[in-house]
Amino acid sequence: MKKKTVFSVLLLCLLCTSCVTVPKTTKLSEFPLMYEEQISSILILPPMNETTAADAKEYYATTIQEPLTYSGYYVFPYPVTSEILQMEGIYDSELLMNTPLSKFREFFGADAVLFTRIKKWDMSYVVIDSNLTVSVECQLKSTSTNRVLWAYDGTVTVNLSGGGSSTGHILGDLIAKAITTAINSAMADYVPYARKANYLAISSLPYGKYHPQHTKDKQMEIIDQTPQPQEEAASESATTGESAVQASE
Amino acid sequence: MIRYTFLAVVLLCTMSIGCTTTQKQYYFGEYSDTLYDFEKNRTEDTLLEHKQQLEHIVAESKDKNLNVPPGIYAELGYIYMRQNNAKQAAELFSKEAELYPESRQFMDRLIRQSDKTKI
Repeated sequence: MKKKTVFSVLLLCLLCTSCVTVPKTTKLSEFPLMYEEQISSILILPPMNETTAADAKEYYATTIQEPLTYSGYYVFPYPVTSEILQMEGIYDSELLMNTPLSKFREFFGADAVLFTRIKKWDMSYVVIDSNLTVSVECQLKSTSTNRVLWAYDGTVTVNLSGGGSSTGHILGDLIAKAITTAINSAMADYVPYARKANYLAISSLPYGKYHPQHTKDKQMEIIDQTPQPQEEAASESATTGESAVQASE
Repeated sequence: MIRYTFLAVVLLCTMSIGCTTTQKQYYFGEYSDTLYDFEKNRTEDTLLEHKQQLEHIVAESKDKNLNVPPGIYAELGYIYMRQNNAKQAAELFSKEAELYPESRQFMDRLIRQSDKTKI
């Protein structure tokens, strides 16, 4: 029992330090347009899938609405809007990337739309090691000015061979263990890690009007994801560790 | 000694929470889980389970004195609409619009649409 406590203390220390050793910036200096435009409603567009996992799109889509809502925005119900978009012939968000977004303001009354791109949703095997990686790119664009208001990535890499506390999350560990027993990658449950990746990305989003800290988070520190050549090399070596949260482009 | 360890754990927990999470202003229950189950396997059963979860979120939010999260009334209304219960659907869409004025435009559209499906 005591051993476990000490272990969790160590783990928590590790978590805390991982919070502070990377290049930092503030929400205001990174996303000034968020404070300028003061959007209050967000429409989630169907995720774009760059991976070979065909089901990633539908599964990943189920993980976005909740954290986005907690950030203080009115988020249109994705299961409803995605179906309506599909009826309107919109299924591939890639085609919307460079088009005027005012139609989403007219149709839904949305202030902004969220583009998401799944970059990684896979397992990699190195000798006896297996790593599960989920990586997503998010971009919020204004429907009145078409400007990019916010863009951030979330990546979670979990080593599944160790079986130990690799995620720092009790539930995550249990799932990781379950996956280790059924090492078949097709059976792997990516969604808990997708939630975590999302959570990492969305934590940098300035709070919306339904959040108690709305407009008070300008100086809040976030990890600077602007590519820095040395940092990228560092984060690559980090993936060989037990768990790595990358800040790469 | 054990007491100190315990304290340290609590302290560290608070610190790491301060690092990452925000105050819970909504109750979402098992929303993401039942939605994921439905996406994995679209059947009457998984839809029913998700619908019950939405109803549970509405009830529990009221119990906890919280606002029903954005989109929950609307999603529930949409399920009723698909099940040809236009009256219940319209009521729920109106509730969403009252609680979240941002949704008014879209909810009015859905109310018009559910009127059309009425037999």
